[in-house]
Amino acid sequence: MAKTLRVRFQPPLVLTLLILGFFVFIPMISAFEYSIRTPLTGGYGWTHYIWAIREDDFFHYILRSMWLAGVTVTITLFVLVPTLTWLHLSRSKVRGLIDGLSLLPLVIPVVAFAVGAQISFPEFVQNTVLELPFLYFVLALPYAYRSLDIGLNSIPLKTITEAARSAGANWWRTITAVIVPVIRGSVMATIALTFALSLGEYTLTVLLHWDTFPTWVTFVAQDNILGAIAISMMSLIIPFLILTVITLFVPERSMQGRK
Amino acid sequence: MSSKSLTLRNISKRFGNVNALDNFNLEVGVGELVALLGPSGCGKTTALRVVAGLEHQDAGTVLVADKNISDVPAHKRNMGMVFQAYSLFPNLTVEENVAFGLQMRKVSKHLRLKKAHELLDLVGLDSQNKRFTHQLSGGQQQRVALARALAFEPEILLLDEPLSALDAQVRVNLREEIRRLQLSLGTTTLFVTHDQEEAMAISDRVGVMNNGVLEQIDTPDVLYNKPASSFVAGFVGTMNRIPAHISDGMVEIFGSKVVALKRGNETGKVHALIRPESISVAATTAQGNAKVLTRSFMGASSNIICQTEDGTIVQSLMTSASTGDLLPGSSVQLRVLSSEVLVANV
Repeated sequence: MAKTLRVRFQPPLVLTLLILGFFVFIPMISAFEYSIRTPLTGGYGWTHYIWAIREDDFFHYILRSMWLAGVTVTITLFVLVPTLTWLHLSRSKVRGLIDGLSLLPLVIPVVAFAVGAQISFPEFVQNTVLELPFLYFVLALPYAYRSLDIGLNSIPLKTITEAARSAGANWWRTITAVIVPVIRGSVMATIALTFALSLGEYTLTVLLHWDTFPTWVTFVAQDNILGAIAISMMSLIIPFLILTVITLFVPERSMQGRK
Repeated sequence: MSSKSLTLRNISKRFGNVNALDNFNLEVGVGELVALLGPSGCGKTTALRVVAGLEHQDAGTVLVADKNISDVPAHKRNMGMVFQAYSLFPNLTVEENVAFGLQMRKVSKHLRLKKAHELLDLVGLDSQNKRFTHQLSGGQQQRVALARALAFEPEILLLDEPLSALDAQVRVNLREEIRRLQLSLGTTTLFVTHDQEEAMAISDRVGVMNNGVLEQIDTPDVLYNKPASSFVAGFVGTMNRIPAHISDGMVEIFGSKVVALKRGNETGKVHALIRPESISVAATTAQGNAKVLTRSFMGASSNIICQTEDGTIVQSLMTSASTGDLLPGSSVQLRVLSSEVLVANV
C-alpha cells in the first residue's frame, strides 16, 4: 500500500499527467462533448455520428487511409528491421551517419519534401497512390528508427543471432523467428507510431493532390463542423481498436515469462 | 552416429593489424574432444568461429570428413555451438529453445518436442521444460544451451568457453557433464577455454595456442610432462624457472647434476624448468640451501614457497604429512626428485 502511494505521488509522474491532461485529454473530452451536442434541441445525442456513418465516402476514405497505413508499416518493418540488425551487428562506422540521416525528416519542411517529390519523381510514380506509403515511411522514419534501435540495443543481439544461425536458421528465419519476437515491444511501438502517423498525415497528402481520410474530413468540415468532429473522434477510436486487437492477437511471450 | 572428423588446413585470419590465426592447422578425429587453450587474444575463439562459419578465413580450408566446407554458410554447416554468454532465446520456453534447431530443419512438432525432452532429460532439466530462460540459473541455462546444440545431432560440437560465466562448483559439475554427454553421444567436439584445468580435465587432446599459432597439441599428460616449448611449459601447470648451469648435457641444480632434456645453450647459464611436485624440501639443522617463506596447507598436499641463497623463489608441492616441520623462516635443503629436467635459454 505504502509502495503504491509512493509511486502515485512521484512528482515527475504527476507533472506528466498534468501536461497530458491539459493538452491532450481535456481538448479530446471537450471535442467529444461538442460532437454530441444537438443544437436544435439543446441536448445531447448521436446525430452527427449517425450522419457520418451514413456518408457514402466515410468507409471509402477510412479504409483507404488504413490500407495506406498498413502498406507503410509493412515497408517500414521490411526496410528497417534488417537494416538496423545489420548496422548493429557490423558495428560499422556508417551507423552514426545513418543515425543522423534518420533524423532529417524532422528538420526538412514537409512542403519542401512534397515539392521535391513532385519535381523528381517520374510520372508513373506520381500517378499511383502507392507513392504515399513510401513518403509516409520517410516521415515516420525518425520515430520508427529510434524505437527499433532501442529494442535492438537492449538485447544481446550478436549472441542470439549467432546462436540462431549455428542452429540452422538462415537470415530470414533469424530475423522473423528470433529477433522480431525478442524485440516484440519495440516492433509493436514501431507499428503503432507508423500507423498513427500515416493515418493522420495531411500536409503532404494535400500538397501531392491525393485524397485520404484526413483530407476528406477537412472537406466535410466545411459544411458540417460537428459532423467533422464526430468523424475525427471515430478516426481516433478505430486505429486504437485495431492496435489493441493486434496486441491481443500476437501472443504475449514477454521476457517476464509465464506464471 | 553423425559425428565427423574436422580438419583446419593453413588457416589465416587478420583483424586489421592483428594476426589472429597464422597458418593454423588442426585435426580432430571422429568422436574426439579437443580443447584449444591459450591466453586471451591467442586466436582460439577465432579458430572456433571459423569452423562455425561465423568468421570467414582470409586463407586456408575447413574440412569436415574431408569435404571442403569453407564457403558453406553457418546455418548449413550442421554444427552445434554453445557460447560463453547466455545465448538462449528469451521469447521461447526451455523446450522450444532445445527444439529450435529441429524446427529450422522442418522436423514435425511432435518429433522435435520428443527429441527436446530426450535431451533435457540427458542434462537433467526435463522438469523445467515449460519455463522461460530467465527463470533458470546460469548453470541451467548453459545446460539448456548444450541440449539445444546437441538436439539436431550436429556433425561437430563447438564449445566457446561455455563455463567461464559460471560459479566454481557449477563449472566443475558441468564440465564433467559435458564430457559424459560427449562420450555417450560420440560427438566430435572442439572446446575453447583459457582455463587449463578445465581443458586438461575433460579433453582427449589439448592444443596450446599463442599468437595465432598452435604451439603444441597432445594428450594432457604429455603436455604437462613434456612441454614442447618454454611457453607451453609456463602456461600449462605451475613451473619453477630455476637459474642453473649446463655443461655436457647435464644441469647443476641445488648442488646435484641432472640430465638436461631439451638443450638450449650447450654450455653456460640456462633456466631449469621443474614442476613443484618434483622438488623436495627437507628441514635441516645444518646450513641448508634455502629458507621457507610460506607453507599453505591444502588438505592432502601442502604448497611450500622457499627462497634460495641467490634469491630465486621456488615452489614445492608435497604431501602434507611430510611438511609439519617446515615452518616459515626455517632453513631447508632443496632437492630435485626427477632424474631429467627441461631447460630453456635465459
